[in-house]
Amino acid sequence: MEIRPILSAILRNKTGAILLAIQIALTLAVVVNAMFIVQQRLKFIGRPTGIDIENIIVISSQGFGSSYDHEQTVFSDLELLRAIPGVKYAAHISRFPLSGGGSRSGFTSTTDSDAESVGANYYFAQNGTIDALGVKLAAGRDFLPTEILTGEQIDNGVVASSVLITKALAEKLFPDGNALGNLVYGGTGDSSRVVGIIEKMHGAWVSWDGLNQVLIFPGLRKDSGQRYLVRTEPGQRDRLIPEVESVLEKASVSRYLDRMEPMSEMVGRSYDNDRVVANGLIIVIVLLVSITGLGIVGLASFLVRQRTKQVGTRRALGAQKYHIVRYFLVENWLITTMGVVVGTVMAFGLNYWTATEFSLPKLDPVFVPVGILGIWVLGVLAAAGPAKRASNISPAIATRTV
Amino acid sequence: MLKMNKISCVYQTDLIETHALRDIDLNVKAGEFVALTGPSGSGKTTLLNLSGLLESATSGTYLLDGEDVSSLSDRQRSSIRNEKIGFIFQSFNLIPDLNLFDNVDVPLRYRAMGIEERRRRIENALELVGLSSRMKHLPSQLSGGQQQRVAIARALAGEPKFLLADEPTGNLDSLMARQVMELLEKINSEGTTIVMVTHDPELARRAHRSIELLDGQISSTQLFGVSAEEPDEKTEAESVA
Repeated sequence: MEIRPILSAILRNKTGAILLAIQIALTLAVVVNAMFIVQQRLKFIGRPTGIDIENIIVISSQGFGSSYDHEQTVFSDLELLRAIPGVKYAAHISRFPLSGGGSRSGFTSTTDSDAESVGANYYFAQNGTIDALGVKLAAGRDFLPTEILTGEQIDNGVVASSVLITKALAEKLFPDGNALGNLVYGGTGDSSRVVGIIEKMHGAWVSWDGLNQVLIFPGLRKDSGQRYLVRTEPGQRDRLIPEVESVLEKASVSRYLDRMEPMSEMVGRSYDNDRVVANGLIIVIVLLVSITGLGIVGLASFLVRQRTKQVGTRRALGAQKYHIVRYFLVENWLITTMGVVVGTVMAFGLNYWTATEFSLPKLDPVFVPVGILGIWVLGVLAAAGPAKRASNISPAIATRTV
Repeated sequence: MLKMNKISCVYQTDLIETHALRDIDLNVKAGEFVALTGPSGSGKTTLLNLSGLLESATSGTYLLDGEDVSSLSDRQRSSIRNEKIGFIFQSFNLIPDLNLFDNVDVPLRYRAMGIEERRRRIENALELVGLSSRMKHLPSQLSGGQQQRVAIARALAGEPKFLLADEPTGNLDSLMARQVMELLEKINSEGTTIVMVTHDPELARRAHRSIELLDGQISSTQLFGVSAEEPDEKTEAESVA
């Protein structure tokens, strides 16, 4: 290998090499950090929710007119929905999880008014709602039909005797692991007994760090609107949407449907900002890598053109074609490596800045070798074409005087 | 050393066919010093390129050091160039970014040769051309004559069986041209076969034999001195002036 003479040649004509090395350094620094942020966002978007999002249709409707009866409407709608072939479960819920809207309050496991409460989303639902959500019970049971409070009872201040809570909330409220059968207290001191613990379920706001902390109370609150979860057999969701819509529209009830869509679409909207950031950064990565690749091709092509006679002379003196290819690839690798060394320092510097200024997480160091490897591969691929062209220069060029 | 039989070289484009060489018969014996002369476009450089395996003939056979090299692969031709042939170019063709040591090292790097052996050869070659004290200099720090001596050292370091020189004094003033010519004569006297292209009749007369080309054919041959072995008289007899 002729690393020393190549390095010597680079150092004697350093302007182009330095500019390219700076470009590579900037690319590595930005790409590594961007890849890390994209990975963080995708991981954030792809978090397991505990809910069978892909097979659920979310429906909401609004009742109107004096003849509208909320409870009656819900019961008759659910009966109609459950009768549709392909529908596994249908249930009512006060708000949709992961929709960006919901109710939150502080809860404790003690009557001590000084005890620090734990924030959690809470919902009102019926027995069977956990099946419609597709969430799993880690312990305990679902509500009994007798436990479901009517709207009137809720309005009159009747407190639910039972509650389902998520495991994440149970661990916060009952660190000793004895949540099941114990009481959970609300802000007014009312208590409900934990009858079941849900393995995992996301609440309303995807950016909230208490997203996993959820309670479900048994009840059907008085409302002018209804919110249904229809869980279908796998793969049947899209086919069933028009049928579900048709069935509800045909029901002789004073109301109109204002939402009928796959739950995945609704959840997707909750992550729109994260997706925009991730997509934007992916575009930045692609652009930067492309521009740097073109920069490498440009410099390598320029050096090949500039050294046509030199290459011809080397060939005349006995260089095989692979010697010429290797020469240009090694030269490119050395320039790339100079950029990579500087870029590595810059990558950590940039991450330090974003971490301190924007509270972004600390860079996972594994992204740096991945970025370096990527830049090296890019360098080889970008320089391969010009290097191959150089190897095809005729040795007879050496004897040409022009 | 070098034997060409009915060598022709035709350059073809879509519109034009140019006969650079037509049915050349040439025999150069080991130790001989042959000058190729002729006007521009007569085919001197093409013949030199074919001799040095820098390009291929369109037809004919070529034996180099007893081996038929007419139809070798690019890889084989490169190996032969590297091991058996030394090149001296009119414009020296030194690599401007490398110092003299590294310039002379260029052909040696293409051989499986240890660094110590390469160093010994480089130092000897630069010693021979009187530039051993300037090994770390760049070509741009030397005069034209010195650069051509470096090119000769580069050619000699590989210990080639024969040297091909393309107008080696073409870019030099008369004093430096004489020094370079004396160096080539010295190298030849030590047994290296030399084929040299030149426009200069004075220099051609210092070779053992001068072959004049005209329109791609040998028009005449002149004998000036005694070579290590006599040339193949049958091949050349017809065209001796």
